[in-house]
This record gives sequence, structure tokens and C-alpha cells, in this order.
Amino acid sequence: MKLTLLVQLSWRNLWRHRRRTVILLTTICFAVGSVLVFNALLRGMQVSMAETAIDNLNGHFKVLAPGYLDDPGIEKSFEFEPIGRPELAGDAIQGWAPRVRVPAVIRSERETRGVQFVGVVPGSEEISFLGDVAIDGEYLSGPDDRRILVGQALAQQLETGVGRRVVLITQGVDGGNRESGYRIAGVYDAVGEGIEKAFVFTGLATVQELLSVDAVTEVSVRLAEDDQNPSVLNSLTSTFSDLDVRTWQDLEPQAAMMYEMADTTVAIWFLIVMGALIFGIVNTLVTAVMERVRELGMLRAIGMRRGAVIAQVVIESMLTMTIGISIGVVLGTLSYLWLADGIDLSAFAEGLEMTGVKPELVPRLWARDVFLVVGLSLVLGILASIYPAQRAVKVQPLDAMRG
Amino acid sequence: MSDLVVECLGLTRVYGDDAVPVHALQGVDFRVTKGEWTALAGPSGSGKSTLLHLVGGLDRPTDGTVAVDGEKLNDLSESQLSDLRLRKVGFVFQAYNLIPVLSAVENVEFIMQLQGIEPPERHERALSVLDQLGLGDIGERRPGELSGGQQQRVAVARAIVTEPVLLLADEPSANLDSATTLELLALLRTINEQRGVTIVTATHDPIVMGHASRRVLLRDGRIESDEVVSSPA
Repeated sequence: MKLTLLVQLSWRNLWRHRRRTVILLTTICFAVGSVLVFNALLRGMQVSMAETAIDNLNGHFKVLAPGYLDDPGIEKSFEFEPIGRPELAGDAIQGWAPRVRVPAVIRSERETRGVQFVGVVPGSEEISFLGDVAIDGEYLSGPDDRRILVGQALAQQLETGVGRRVVLITQGVDGGNRESGYRIAGVYDAVGEGIEKAFVFTGLATVQELLSVDAVTEVSVRLAEDDQNPSVLNSLTSTFSDLDVRTWQDLEPQAAMMYEMADTTVAIWFLIVMGALIFGIVNTLVTAVMERVRELGMLRAIGMRRGAVIAQVVIESMLTMTIGISIGVVLGTLSYLWLADGIDLSAFAEGLEMTGVKPELVPRLWARDVFLVVGLSLVLGILASIYPAQRAVKVQPLDAMRG
Repeated sequence: MSDLVVECLGLTRVYGDDAVPVHALQGVDFRVTKGEWTALAGPSGSGKSTLLHLVGGLDRPTDGTVAVDGEKLNDLSESQLSDLRLRKVGFVFQAYNLIPVLSAVENVEFIMQLQGIEPPERHERALSVLDQLGLGDIGERRPGELSGGQQQRVAVARAIVTEPVLLLADEPSANLDSATTLELLALLRTINEQRGVTIVTATHDPIVMGHASRRVLLRDGRIESDEVVSSPA
């Protein structure tokens, strides 16, 4: 039997009860549209969380001395330049940022706080949040700059500001205290007070001079694309075979877990919405079948095979889903475009800071998510038609003969 | 080649279970030759509809054999029975059973679509049959826009358009008034006489019985009488 005939008949049957079909289509398109918008918001949060984790001095990968993570200090350092950088294909790497990061105490005229004292090559920090952070005052001029950058929250705690001097005390390789005074070049305004309170920056050479080392404690590597390329990780681990190469997920396990959970959340939301919808579709199709018992019996009596009856119900379901999904995708995409410039969540900034989501949420509608939603919805459409099709195929030709 | 279109031998149909069996047909022998118009008559529960259903391959006998146009139905699978009904048997139902979402001409074409006949030919044949049955001007109307008599005539057009060897009609006049019944019977007679289509109808209606060329009276699942009418009404 020709498919076109079944499609034609199914199409006409769809419009037998216009109001019922329109209600069902509306439900499907809202379900699909809402799933897409929810996906886009969740993906936006997911990307934001990952970006924050990567920006916060991690990069996609970080090279560390073995044991540094358990006991951070200058004694867990390594000389970076003699090893050099591995040959990597194309433009996989956006940048490298060597740093010395040591625990320290910062003291102003009034307050004392524990911080991470970080020596950086300012030009290389394009790959971290320092690259585009708002600064009151001046940015560091180079690795030899002897001034420091402090976070806004820390400056408030220390009751200090741009141009004032503070003292930093840390430990050298020999375990002895090293202390030096620094003038504040600028006060940075990062996303989240945690960052602002934690990090004090100066030139890399300045810290190395203070600690009398030529080494670094970490090198962050940022990729050009957000998708982590396993070949880059392989190259890094083979080049830095004596060192510890970690991904940002290793370094920020909580953020990584939330990142992974986003996929699960997308799936759960999809199943809840579409699962509820499937009952509506099954109910409508069963009703449609039961209304047409005599007609289906007639079709069987005049020679339509069981397979064709099943196909007719499945096609009706697929047509309904296809129309509903198509409109739903258009609605979802339009809603996404409406929100695409970003949603201001600054009112919830404190709560969001804990999750690593930036105060401006930019939704992300990924093609693979759209294809997945469309594909799974069609599969659900087929599943939804199984029971009604079973009911339809049970209709006997004799049912047509009853008056 | 045999002129037998239908041959039933020892046909038995028992419904229900062993505890409460209902013997709808009890060893019926029944033959129909080409060109006959046979009316199966009898009170409710006599077995006339059961016999019609078995002859049309819509039901399977408990015992005995049924052959249509030389093909033994007992040996056919479900899908083979579907094919046989599609190729050889035309049905006219009591409730017309037209597809409400298709127009009259599309309803007639539908069965040819099932047979795989190409669009230009099937459309031409459907229009031609509708025209012959006096329905040429209502081809584009849907069943809901037709009277009961018109719907039944469209159903007849659908049944004969494929030129079946056998036309089965189950209480075809049950939902029609007397005038429309007479129109329908005149139509069936034309089909029977001019096209040579063999017709078997199950009916309570004396008017229908009066038009058939042979009357088979059933009672309690057995043939009580079988008479050929020399000059039907």
C-alpha cells in the first residue's frame, strides 16, 4: 500500500476534529518551545559556570608541580621556559599564562588578611578574568612591575586604596619569611567577592625576586575552542611528563559537577514535559481510534491490511508531532532570540556567585539540543502511537458490519 | 471453468465457549453461481449474516469449507484474505461506512488506491461509475453533505468500481426509506443484469427479497428453503 495514501488519509483525519487537533498542536508546540527555552537558559548557565571556572586562573588545563595542590608553596615549583611548549596543531591554544602563586598575608595600616599572592605576566593574562576586569587605577605594566593589584572587597577590608602601600609576607623556599612593601596600582572589580578577597597580583619577576627563584608554580593553558581537545591534553601530559597536568574540572570539581548536572537536568526536564504530553497524545489518538471503529472495520473489510492500519495511526501521530514540533521550534527560537542579548540577574548576584554564574545570563541555543529535542519528540510520538495502534488493529472487519 | 462463484460445504460456525455454545450455522451447504442475485433471509439469529460474513472472508468457519471464485478461504492467511477481499469482493454495508473526510469521488477512488491503480485511471473510473449511478454531480461532496440514499449509492459505486466477482450487501436498505430502497434495488438490478455482477444480500426486508432472483431462507443456522424466483419484482 502506498505511503502517500496513508499520509493523505491521516492528514484528513487530523482535521476531522479541528478544535481537538488545534488544542493538541498548541500543547505540543508550547511543550517543545518551553523545553528549548529552558535548554537555552540552562546551557547559558552551564557555559557561564564553565567560563567562570576557566577564567578564575585555571584555564582549560593547568600545569603544576606534583603535590602543589595538596600543599601549595614556592617549594612546589618548576622552571617552565627550559621545558618549552609542545608543538600543537593549528590554533588550538589561545594562550599560556605562567604564574607564581603562593599563600601570603597582606597588611595595611589598619588590617591584615590572608591572600593568594600571584605573580603574573600581565600580557599573558588575556586568558583569565584579569584580561577584561574593570580596574580603578592602573593595570600592571609588565612582569617587572613592582606594584600590585588588589580586589575591591579586599581593599575595603584593608581600608586601603589606589596609590597606598601595603606589606605582603610569604614564605621562601627555605621556609623563612619574605616580606616586602608594595604600592597599589589598581583595584579590580571582579565577578564575585570571593575572587576579590582571594587574589593579589603583581609582576611575575617581582615575586620571583622576592622568593629568590626563577621558577613558576603553575602555567594555565587556554584553548581557542571551549571543547576540550583530548589531543592537547595528551601533548601537554607527554611534554610535561614530570609535572601534574590538570583540567579545569579537576581543579573546580564543584563547578564541573554542576556543569555535568546541566545535561541531566535538560534530560529530566524534557522527560517531565514530554512525558506529560505523551499521555495527551495517547488519549487523543485512542479517542480518535474508538470514534472510528466502524470505519477502521470497513477499511479492513475492503482489504486494508493490519500493517496499513497501524501505519495510519502512527502517521497521524507523527504528523501531529511534526507540525507541533515545527511550530514549537519556531516559537522556542523566537523566544531565545528575544532573550539572546542576555538576562540581567544582578538582583540575584550573591546567590549566583556561589554557583559561578555571571550576573548577566546569556542563553545558548545549541543546534545539537534542538536536533535532540526534535528527534526525541518524534520518537515519543511513535511510542505514543503504539497503544492506539494496537487498539486500532484489534478492530475486526466484522465491526464494520454492525449497524 | 466452473460457474460457481461461492461454494460452501458443511459450513458450521459456533460462537461462545464450550460451556455455552451458540450454533450460528450448522453444516450449511450453499452455492452461488455467476450472475445470480441471492437474498439470504430469515429471522434474527437465523445465521444469514454469519453466512454472508463467512462468504466474504470476514470471519472463519468452525468447520466446513468456503470457496470464492475457486479460492478456498480456509487455507488463506489473514493478509491473503485481505487481498482476496480487495480483489474479488465488493461490500455494501448497512451503515454505508463511507470515509467522512473524503469526498464521494475520493471514497470511490480509495479502494482503487489500495489496489495500486494509478491516479488518472482511478479518477476516470470513479467518475464514470458515479456518473452511471446518477451521482455525477455530487462527486466533490463529502458524505456528511449527502442524503442516506446518496451515501448508499456511493457505497455501491465503491463496491463495484473494482469489478468484483461478488458483491455482498448486509442489510443494505436498513437505514433507507421505501422510495430510496426501491431506487437502490433498481440500481443493484442494473448492476446484476448489465454488468453480470453476482450479488448476495442478507436482509429482513421483503422488498429486497422480492427483487432477488433467488431466495434462501435460513432458520436456526440451517437452510430452510432455497427457491429461484422466475420473475422477481
